[in-house]
Amino acid sequence: MSALSAADRELVLRKLRLPPVLSGPITCGDLDDQVLSHVTQKPPRAWAVAFSITSLAALAGFAFIGYTFYVGIGAWGNNIPVAWAFGIINFVFWIGIGHAGTLISAILLLFRARWRNAIARFAEAMTIFAVMVAGLFPLIHVGRPWLAFWLMPYPNQRGLWPNFRSPLMWDVFAVSTYFSVSLLYWYLGLVPDFASLRDRTRGRVRRFLYSVLSFGWRGAATHWHHFERAYLVIAGLATGLVLSVHSVVSFDFAVSLVPGWHMTIFPPYFVCGAIFAGFAMVVLAMVVVRTTMHLEHLITEYHLDVMNRILLTCSCLMAYAYLLEGFTAWYSMNPYIHHTFLQYIVGAYGWAGRLTIACNILIPQLLWLRFFRRNTAGMLLVSVAVTIGMWFERFVIIVSSLHQDFLPSSWHLYKPTVVDFGILTGSFGLFFTLVLLFARVLPVIATTEMKIVLPGSQPGGESHER
Amino acid sequence: MNGKGSVLGIFANARLLVEAIPDIRGKATGRLEAYTPFPIHGIDRALGLRKSPVGGMVFLMGVVGALSGLLFELWANGVDYPILTAGKPYLSWEAFVPIMFEMTVLFACFTSGLGMLLLLNRLPLFRNPVLRSPAMALFTKDKFGLEVQLDERGPDAETVAALLRQSGAEAVERIEEAGPRAAASPEFLASVAGGIVLVCALAGLLTYWATKLFPVSVPMVHMLSQPRLDPERSDPFFRDGFGMRPPVAATVLRGSVPYLIASEEEAAVVQNPLPRTEAVLGRGRQLFTDHCAVCHGLLGNGIGTLTPAYGAKPANLVAQKIIDLRDGQIHYVVRMGKNAMPSYAADLDDDQRWAAVHYVRALQRALNAKDEDIAR
Repeated sequence: MSALSAADRELVLRKLRLPPVLSGPITCGDLDDQVLSHVTQKPPRAWAVAFSITSLAALAGFAFIGYTFYVGIGAWGNNIPVAWAFGIINFVFWIGIGHAGTLISAILLLFRARWRNAIARFAEAMTIFAVMVAGLFPLIHVGRPWLAFWLMPYPNQRGLWPNFRSPLMWDVFAVSTYFSVSLLYWYLGLVPDFASLRDRTRGRVRRFLYSVLSFGWRGAATHWHHFERAYLVIAGLATGLVLSVHSVVSFDFAVSLVPGWHMTIFPPYFVCGAIFAGFAMVVLAMVVVRTTMHLEHLITEYHLDVMNRILLTCSCLMAYAYLLEGFTAWYSMNPYIHHTFLQYIVGAYGWAGRLTIACNILIPQLLWLRFFRRNTAGMLLVSVAVTIGMWFERFVIIVSSLHQDFLPSSWHLYKPTVVDFGILTGSFGLFFTLVLLFARVLPVIATTEMKIVLPGSQPGGESHER
Repeated sequence: MNGKGSVLGIFANARLLVEAIPDIRGKATGRLEAYTPFPIHGIDRALGLRKSPVGGMVFLMGVVGALSGLLFELWANGVDYPILTAGKPYLSWEAFVPIMFEMTVLFACFTSGLGMLLLLNRLPLFRNPVLRSPAMALFTKDKFGLEVQLDERGPDAETVAALLRQSGAEAVERIEEAGPRAAASPEFLASVAGGIVLVCALAGLLTYWATKLFPVSVPMVHMLSQPRLDPERSDPFFRDGFGMRPPVAATVLRGSVPYLIASEEEAAVVQNPLPRTEAVLGRGRQLFTDHCAVCHGLLGNGIGTLTPAYGAKPANLVAQKIIDLRDGQIHYVVRMGKNAMPSYAADLDDDQRWAAVHYVRALQRALNAKDEDIAR
């Protein structure tokens, strides 16, 4: 350093300094007024319109689910050999969407990325809703959902226990653990915000409700002392958990002997895909939320830029995973695997494979350009493409691999029915209904965590980097 | 004149608060507590807080979670209900790792979250006097508070208040000690009790409805109502209208031996072909427990679990009358039925019946044991 002139030194330091995570001066009080006031205000017209559309879609989805319960799984296009189709595609898709929330709230917390604070709450909520939607699918797919509790190990008069060596059983544990831990983590973060809401609302009922929900939180230093520690510990544990959940989901496939599924690349490939799809959904939602709720100064272009960089990274990793899948297929010297892999690109469902590659690999390359990382329309284009691409990736993995197995006599083309599409639409409806409700009744930005990164909030003058 | 309670100073920013703490700590003897809208760097050191025990708690419960997951899986799939998977030993543990991991994380996370909230921070608590102060609304928004507990040895309230103002507090508030917990009114208790009764009644009705109606409502009975042939029922599927088919003429069922004994008396001459070994008796015991004991009782004394329900009087198998029967005759009754007892020809094959007969003999001897029967 001593070799540098003072001016050079200044330049280096300026380059090294992180860009601000907020635009414009803002105080703790302003922040509360802007974020928490949404909870008590009457919602704008656009919200009501969006809510009626999504809840209608959700209701339609439930009607289709009811129809499935009534007539059985025969209402779907599933049949041998494609016994797993939309039900499992949607399950893997939604579980994947859920992964971004934990990545943002836990892994980025451990990496001390300050920009995560503004979007963590929203992403965590998306995780919870996505896992709820995902959890529906295995339940309805079992055909007799009123017996789904048999999946749980409980002492019964038949003297039976579930098979704990089965990947499907691992899935039950992984997904339910993931859901409960995400809910706990999200709720813990909400506790201080509930306290803020309690102290700024006037209505008796609301005040009582927030008071109970906040557990009587009073922001004592001794409490924060334990709170920060516990929060950090859960973040560390959730990091392992989030990596394990989609790995376990991939075991459902990889532990079987189906060509195209039986591959060691599956766990990291699935985890990366999950984060990819989840980030696309977060970007999609954030772009809409920041404009409709006027939060541009809290969720800045810088936030979106960073998220888009992660999206681009994941896209490149996915490209690597696809290439490696091809390499593994070729290197296996196994005619069945060769055949299955070719089916992905040139078979009856080859269009789905090519669409996957276009949406997941080619279109996200636009994000190398700064313009697309910061432009609303550009971001919408990429994130919608990735959402579509990731859904079709699971379609390719499941349907293309299954429709032509070892016995040519059992080959059969799969065709989804109206009910399949109805339930898929319903799942999007349910997810966005929950997201819209969340944006109405709970603070969409963790005000407590934002206050930490406000300039001058810490005694040292510099903002506190967690 | 030192009162109880505490004095609360309100500070405009975190720097003023943290700088005030060492000064106050030196002069006031009571416990200090700070109130802040968000966690503040270095305040734990200023207040002299010890390291949070969350880490140790989490580690301990994580180990408990891992062990309970692994041991439960080993017991359930290896001991209590052994499942053979891919020819691996029953107690192979490798495939149990994913669930063990999930259990570890589950236990550890909930210990961390709930342990912190409920155990370490003693929440929920709504009676704290500071929580009731109007200043609380400032501390959850953008102001910072420092609470000094008053005690007998330390300075009085006015001195502490002056001290806080000197250190930069923009306002000072006196906090009275929380009064004793008010007793719940009889109306409140009555409404809580009424609520509990109502919820229980609703839950009971719901359970009743669910168990009565749910299993016989439409989608649940689809398996029963599918097209199939039932025994002893007519069916238009066959031209003659019978659901059951007669055996093909002039054939013998595989494994069956024609039984030519016509009456119980005739059966007396038939000998039990099985040897009286431990294995045969064990098999007989299993068959007796599964098929006979519901009526004849586990001891064969004619008192079984189903006896009162049907009002029938099953034979007391250890009575002299049955002891006097020959093996062949007992075997005949099991095969053909007698009085209210149905035939077990469809349930037990010949060897199984003979094994059960041996076990009945063992029961008879055990329940009428003589001195010579006792091993010396």
